[in-house]
Amino acid sequence: MATKKKRTPNVQNDSWVVIAADSAIDTQKHNSDPAFVRLRNPATGAASLYMLSSGDTQLFEVKTFEEDFHSWFVGQTVQRDGRLLFITPMDPLYLILPYLVKSVKEGKFQPVHQVVMDEEFPACSRLLSCTRSLASLHQIAEEKEVGTLKFHRYSQEKTMNWLKKKVERTVIALKKRNISVGEGVKSTTYVRVKSETDCREEDYLRYAHGLISEYISEDLSKALLKHLELPELTSPKETEPPSKKRKLSDKPVEAGEDYTKFNSADFVRKPPKKMTAAQKSLAKVDKSGMKPMSSFFSPKVKAEKN
Amino acid sequence: MDLGPFESDNSVSCRLASQIPDVCRTEDCCLGIDEAGRGPVLGPMVYGICFCPVSKKDELKDLKVADSKTLTEAERENLFEKLDEARSYVGWALQILSPNTISTSMLQRTKYNLNSLSHDTAIGLVQYALDSGVQVKEVFVDTVGPADKYEDKLSKLFPGIEVTVRPKADSLFPIVSAASICAKVARDRVVKGWNFAEDLGEVDPDYGSGYPNDPKTKAWLLKYLDPVFGYPQFVRFSWSTAQTLMDSKGVTVHWDDDDEDGEKAAQRQNNKSMLSFLSVSAGGNSQNPTHQAHRFFSDRRLKSLDTL
Repeated sequence: MATKKKRTPNVQNDSWVVIAADSAIDTQKHNSDPAFVRLRNPATGAASLYMLSSGDTQLFEVKTFEEDFHSWFVGQTVQRDGRLLFITPMDPLYLILPYLVKSVKEGKFQPVHQVVMDEEFPACSRLLSCTRSLASLHQIAEEKEVGTLKFHRYSQEKTMNWLKKKVERTVIALKKRNISVGEGVKSTTYVRVKSETDCREEDYLRYAHGLISEYISEDLSKALLKHLELPELTSPKETEPPSKKRKLSDKPVEAGEDYTKFNSADFVRKPPKKMTAAQKSLAKVDKSGMKPMSSFFSPKVKAEKN
Repeated sequence: MDLGPFESDNSVSCRLASQIPDVCRTEDCCLGIDEAGRGPVLGPMVYGICFCPVSKKDELKDLKVADSKTLTEAERENLFEKLDEARSYVGWALQILSPNTISTSMLQRTKYNLNSLSHDTAIGLVQYALDSGVQVKEVFVDTVGPADKYEDKLSKLFPGIEVTVRPKADSLFPIVSAASICAKVARDRVVKGWNFAEDLGEVDPDYGSGYPNDPKTKAWLLKYLDPVFGYPQFVRFSWSTAQTLMDSKGVTVHWDDDDEDGEKAAQRQNNKSMLSFLSVSAGGNSQNPTHQAHRFFSDRRLKSLDTL
């Protein structure tokens, strides 16, 4: 207890604790191993880790549960890294979408193989091998067929409709799982006594929109908000609880419902209480030029230059 | 004395008791409390009470029970035999606090120190005697902490009983000496025949007195230190002797209630400065260049990875 414990940096380890769908690790069909790949994260534009199943037929995203002070006991060993990796299925269209959006400037129909290219992340072309990719491209792009060749052009309208469907399906999933979406609820471990009948549809929509926005660019996220006809929350003020400052009023504070008041026989409005000697002397103090206490807790007004 | 109930699971606290002599239910009784094994880093701490009718005090004196510390182990065993033979008017009860109980009490999140543990155990035993119908009128205790405070506490808890807390009570009052013998005998037997719950193979039984300053005990502690798990449950982890050894020879283990010093800990835990709550944040989140994960993920501590 007396000695201070030093934290040593996490050393590189070669094993992880992973939860993955069976389909993610199935190597039967294609005779190749599933592979971790680094691809451009559509929301941040930076690298993120994904996994392609055997034969690149399915895309999975990799998330990690990470909290301080966790370690694993694995068999007869201790794994210092207490992370838990989740490998969950993901629609490859989310990763293809940014490339199509980028190509819209050229305004023409193009073969999708020419669009989904990235010097930084050459693995991105493998996304097109996913069984869902080509089949669902029409959700976000117009298609033209010339002979055996297919050409695509990004469509914002189609994309918005597709994303709206995603949001709606997410809302259904949120309701099914009883996930608290209200603004007031900040903790997932917070248990409501009342059932969530007071949760508005808008709360669900907004929450689902936020979730989908984790997979699309900021611009698309804003456009989607409009498409869903949700008012944009511009300033952080609106998301914060109302300020605690009370309205000052000369009227005495009374309870809204006081049933005892007029029933008592000796009810008379009492004159305001007399101040004590100490209060009186304090009231007499010259307060000119003094700031009220509350001014220290409100946004700073720029000091006037004299 | 049947230690079976404790030995079947020596990781928890256990109560052993004699038959209550009939005479103790009808006559006013005196009761002595003492403990054995407060200091050692190894083994349990045993609390004992002994009681007999006030009228039989002299007969107890004739048994020549004396402070257990002045006696050899054989003499103690011998005296315990005598107490057992006097079972028609002497009763006893023991609470064995396993080393594991001591460790987990003292090291839990809301610390429960040894004095509180001692007091509560003593109180529990007196209550046990009362619940069993023993007509307790006088209680004699060897002190733990300041005597007058302890005496006050016990008097308030047991109104109508005359409580005497005195340092060295075990050499002043025969009934306390008797309690100390019961406790000491139980501890000796438990420590000698300790069943290690851990799979350690043949354990070297030469651990000395178990007191931290005994070189044999120290050597034993060094020998049985596991870098990951520390010690078998036989050792009191909360003793600084054990802690110092684990700190220097074992793997560092961080708990989230470890004391860390200010700035760094705050930064690591992502604490905000108090001031940031008092002013509307300049710029707000919208200008924050780093992507803020949706609360679905941040609430669940889920993050994206860029490499493994």
